[in-house]
Amino acid sequence: MSRHRLTVVLSQAPGKHQAKRSLEESIAAALILEPGLDVSIVPNLYDLGPDHTGRMYLEGVSGDLCVLTWHFPRAAFWLLDRIGVKGHEGQTQLKPPADDDDEDAGESATPQGVGPAGEVPDRQIYCLDLRDFNSADPYLNEIRRIATECRERHEQKQSAQANGTAPLLQLGVAGTVATEANGHGPATRAFTPEELLAAPNRRWYPVIDYSRCTNCLECLDFCLFGVYGVDSLDRILVENQDSCKKGCPACSRVCPEQAIMFPEYKSAAIAGAPVGAISGLKIDLTKLFGGEVKDALSQAVEERDRELVADGRVAVGMTVGIPKRQTDKPQGPKDDLDKLMDDLDALGL
Amino acid sequence: MSEPLAFLMGKFAAVLPADRRYCRNHMWCHPRGDGVYRFGFTAYAIRLMQDVYFLDWSVNAGDAVALKQQIGNIETSKAVSDLFAPIGGTLTAINQDVLKDPSQINVDGYGRGWLFEMSGDTGSTLDAQGYHDFLAANWDQTQRILKGQMGE
Repeated sequence: MSRHRLTVVLSQAPGKHQAKRSLEESIAAALILEPGLDVSIVPNLYDLGPDHTGRMYLEGVSGDLCVLTWHFPRAAFWLLDRIGVKGHEGQTQLKPPADDDDEDAGESATPQGVGPAGEVPDRQIYCLDLRDFNSADPYLNEIRRIATECRERHEQKQSAQANGTAPLLQLGVAGTVATEANGHGPATRAFTPEELLAAPNRRWYPVIDYSRCTNCLECLDFCLFGVYGVDSLDRILVENQDSCKKGCPACSRVCPEQAIMFPEYKSAAIAGAPVGAISGLKIDLTKLFGGEVKDALSQAVEERDRELVADGRVAVGMTVGIPKRQTDKPQGPKDDLDKLMDDLDALGL
Repeated sequence: MSEPLAFLMGKFAAVLPADRRYCRNHMWCHPRGDGVYRFGFTAYAIRLMQDVYFLDWSVNAGDAVALKQQIGNIETSKAVSDLFAPIGGTLTAINQDVLKDPSQINVDGYGRGWLFEMSGDTGSTLDAQGYHDFLAANWDQTQRILKGQMGE
């Protein structure tokens, strides 16, 4: 019998939303009684700074990980990647109550992204969206399923190892067998629940989905607040996240691959909804309900100008950092449009 | 009283009663007779949004609001949106029942699902035929916007 354990981390909703708190609490209370699970609660993942105990705790987890957040799973996964909690994306079977629109819309033309930086450890990270259901049971069932899946995978690996796989290869994998059996590095023991839950300040910054990002650097050209930079390999990264302007999602609108997410933005397409999956994706009707009609680029330019002026700088309009592709290809690839047209028809408008 | 008009959104017919005025932000405007007007979402708006989950106002009764000033936001099964003042004037009342139970907007959008009342200049409002023409003239553009949203 393996001693493999699954670490479950619950990321709280910011603020004092009663219904959200009570869902978090009922999930946590049920999970603490489950064998084979290490359960912790941290404040809103998005807000955790580098010196927050909750983040250090997450960084210390080396085994399989299941994270429940109030964000889209794609946003949560890449948010973890950003803070150095890397792994392979675990496939969850938890699906929001179906809108009975077609489910395979998400498969359309995924761009070839550059992938995550550095080495990805051999473990799975599952992200569940706490907005999908308002009762604990679907989450508990899914976490049990994930725990079983992880244990079986672990046992398979161990037996493969016992059957003569070169042990040297195994030594290269993150963590020793002793610590991996517990799922934690040694540094994770000391944190009390109070330390984990110390309330962080709210933050606002973009999160890059490197499975979609093609490193075109248009965001670097567009953002005039120095948020973006490149690493030693000239890969785009969010370099100065706290230079980002609260509420401004302009760079996300400019990104040609929808690789930039603001997990807490009101419209789902920017908050990290599955790309191309119309079901469950909320449309922003602001433009129809009184805002002026604008395309994504003009909207981005306006948002950027607003922040420039608020900073005491001069609005630059369309003169700086405008992607060239927009001049000859304003509507994006034709195939996608056709597909979206079909999706719109499915809405019955 | 003349027959209500209907604007065809694909197969769905958005009914536009002829007993009231309409605003370009897809709210209806119904005079109470004392200089105060009641506002609510048109069937067209409700069809785009579908089930209303959450409604919030950033202004209170008694506040002066400017035309197109942002006054709140809404979240529904299909959409999110900021909400804007349909006319300039003074907000006189907010429908508290709808705040508590926004689904009334879907159940009875032209009646119990009203949103708020205002006094002010309604000169910019349209009659049912005018609103119908406005919807027809903008329908292609609206569909493009919706598609653009989905493509983002």
